[in-house]
Amino acid sequence: MSYQVSPQPARVGDVTITINMKDRSERPIAGASVKLEGNMSHAGMAPVIAEAREIGPGHYQAKMKLTMAGDWDVLVLLTLPDGSEADQEFEIKNVAPV
Amino acid sequence: MFQTDSQSKTQPFLDLLRLPLIGSLLKQRHARTLLQIPLFVISVAMILHGLFGPQLAPRNLATTLTWVHFRGALILVLLLAGNFFCLACPFMLVRNFARKFFRPNRNWPRYLRNKWLSVGLFVLMLFVYELFDLWASPWWTASLIITYFAGALVIDSVFKHATFCKFVCPIGQFNFIASTVSPLEVAVRDHDVCTRCTTKDCIRGVREPAAPLVVIQRGCELALFQPRKVGNLDCTFCLDCVQACPHDNVGIISRVPAMELATAPMIDTMRSGVGILSRRKDVAALVMVFAFGALLNAFAMVSPVYALEQSLARRLGVTIEAPVLAIVFGLFLVVEPLLLIGAAAWITKVWGRSNNSVVALAVRYSYSLVPIGFGIWLAHYSFHFLTGLFTFIPVTQAAVAELGSAVLGQPQWTLVGLPVNVVQVFEVGFIVLGLLGSLSVSYLLAASERMARVFIPWAVLSLLLASAALWVMSQPMEMRGLVLGSG
Repeated sequence: MSYQVSPQPARVGDVTITINMKDRSERPIAGASVKLEGNMSHAGMAPVIAEAREIGPGHYQAKMKLTMAGDWDVLVLLTLPDGSEADQEFEIKNVAPV
Repeated sequence: MFQTDSQSKTQPFLDLLRLPLIGSLLKQRHARTLLQIPLFVISVAMILHGLFGPQLAPRNLATTLTWVHFRGALILVLLLAGNFFCLACPFMLVRNFARKFFRPNRNWPRYLRNKWLSVGLFVLMLFVYELFDLWASPWWTASLIITYFAGALVIDSVFKHATFCKFVCPIGQFNFIASTVSPLEVAVRDHDVCTRCTTKDCIRGVREPAAPLVVIQRGCELALFQPRKVGNLDCTFCLDCVQACPHDNVGIISRVPAMELATAPMIDTMRSGVGILSRRKDVAALVMVFAFGALLNAFAMVSPVYALEQSLARRLGVTIEAPVLAIVFGLFLVVEPLLLIGAAAWITKVWGRSNNSVVALAVRYSYSLVPIGFGIWLAHYSFHFLTGLFTFIPVTQAAVAELGSAVLGQPQWTLVGLPVNVVQVFEVGFIVLGLLGSLSVSYLLAASERMARVFIPWAVLSLLLASAALWVMSQPMEMRGLVLGSG
């Protein structure tokens, strides 16, 4: 899985996250369900949840509203076409204030 | 609270121990243990989850309960009642259990029988919190809880009495200072009864009649002799004095918050176990750290602090955080308070034509900063508490689910708390409340010395702290570990 966040550097507000998924033989994984959950590094903050839509074979895109400046931890929850589930995390560092 | 002879039988507005249900519960011999056990169980769960659970702070019990719920509940209880968290302290449960097996026989060294060590530990705690981003690290948070348990156990296993509580525990010192603005106090009901008392069990403990060296109920381990106890400083609300008093003459009594700091007779009175507050430079230093640390701790969570740290790092040419953070702490916890308090004390000396030294006046009037410091801590901690009020529910659901049980259902991650804009109204209210408290204390202190106009420099100082706190609270919050040089 690879991902891109735009704009760069990310700022508080809407960001677009694009997830690209391939299987072990480097073929795009189409038809998956992709949910994103963004968490701040401090406890007690509301997670931001978004659902990605498939914009092309193996390419998924979601808009996520980052509500606070700082470091975000994004959890990607995948349900693959065969029904199996997986998850992966990545960080968006130093989200700037508005 | 200190009472003159004429006030010795004044009926308080409220005596918690005389309320039907709560009173009879708190007067039970094992009331403290009953309150400690649930907190101990929760602490163990927090340690295990912190060490072995998910390392994402919002999903871990250690970070969620410590930094959102414990701190918030603690300060709100201090505001509304008193030092009940020391009463229910789980560290003391373990320590009391250990003391069943071995008795400490050493006295805490005389040169450490003051607050200087705990001032240092309080600062260290604030420093470590920022340096290791404790709020973001379940593992470090769990390690901190273990350190507290180990510290209480080791120190109180070697040294007699409540050494850890009185001279070491940073949380305890925070509670002692904060509880001076609490509305309840463990105090004598009728001083005439104490005058006639011959056994003094509240301090000596209740002895086995046949074997006077055997204590069957402890007296105050913090050396607070009830008839001469003034205020809440150093009182852990452990209720040993309540249990020990043979005349049922100790209550948890309502009082005017912060009055114990507010007049010359109060701070010049010899307090049992504390001494004369106006001469305690160490307690004044603790107050200074309490008040200015409140501002620094809140400041560290908003955007401008990162710009300041990056700027300092560039000037120093360093890429590690510790020296930069040390400079920030030095500026905000040493240089700034010494300059501001020193200036206010100097003006007090000149305007009041006082024979006291600037240091003595600084000590005396620094107690007026407790309410505003409390207001800032309250605003900060209640922000996290109220905005994250319900987050313990999904985190607990998830922790139970990790154990393979579906008994609590799927984690409801959308359960959060009150909206930020609602909580911000409370924040402003708490800071204003603290400011009013500090203005009242400094005015009463000045007026009781017939130097009313020296109220002005201390009022300006409180106003400066309140304004700075309101500015900090208005800044966008930012949560990140600092990567120096990353812009």
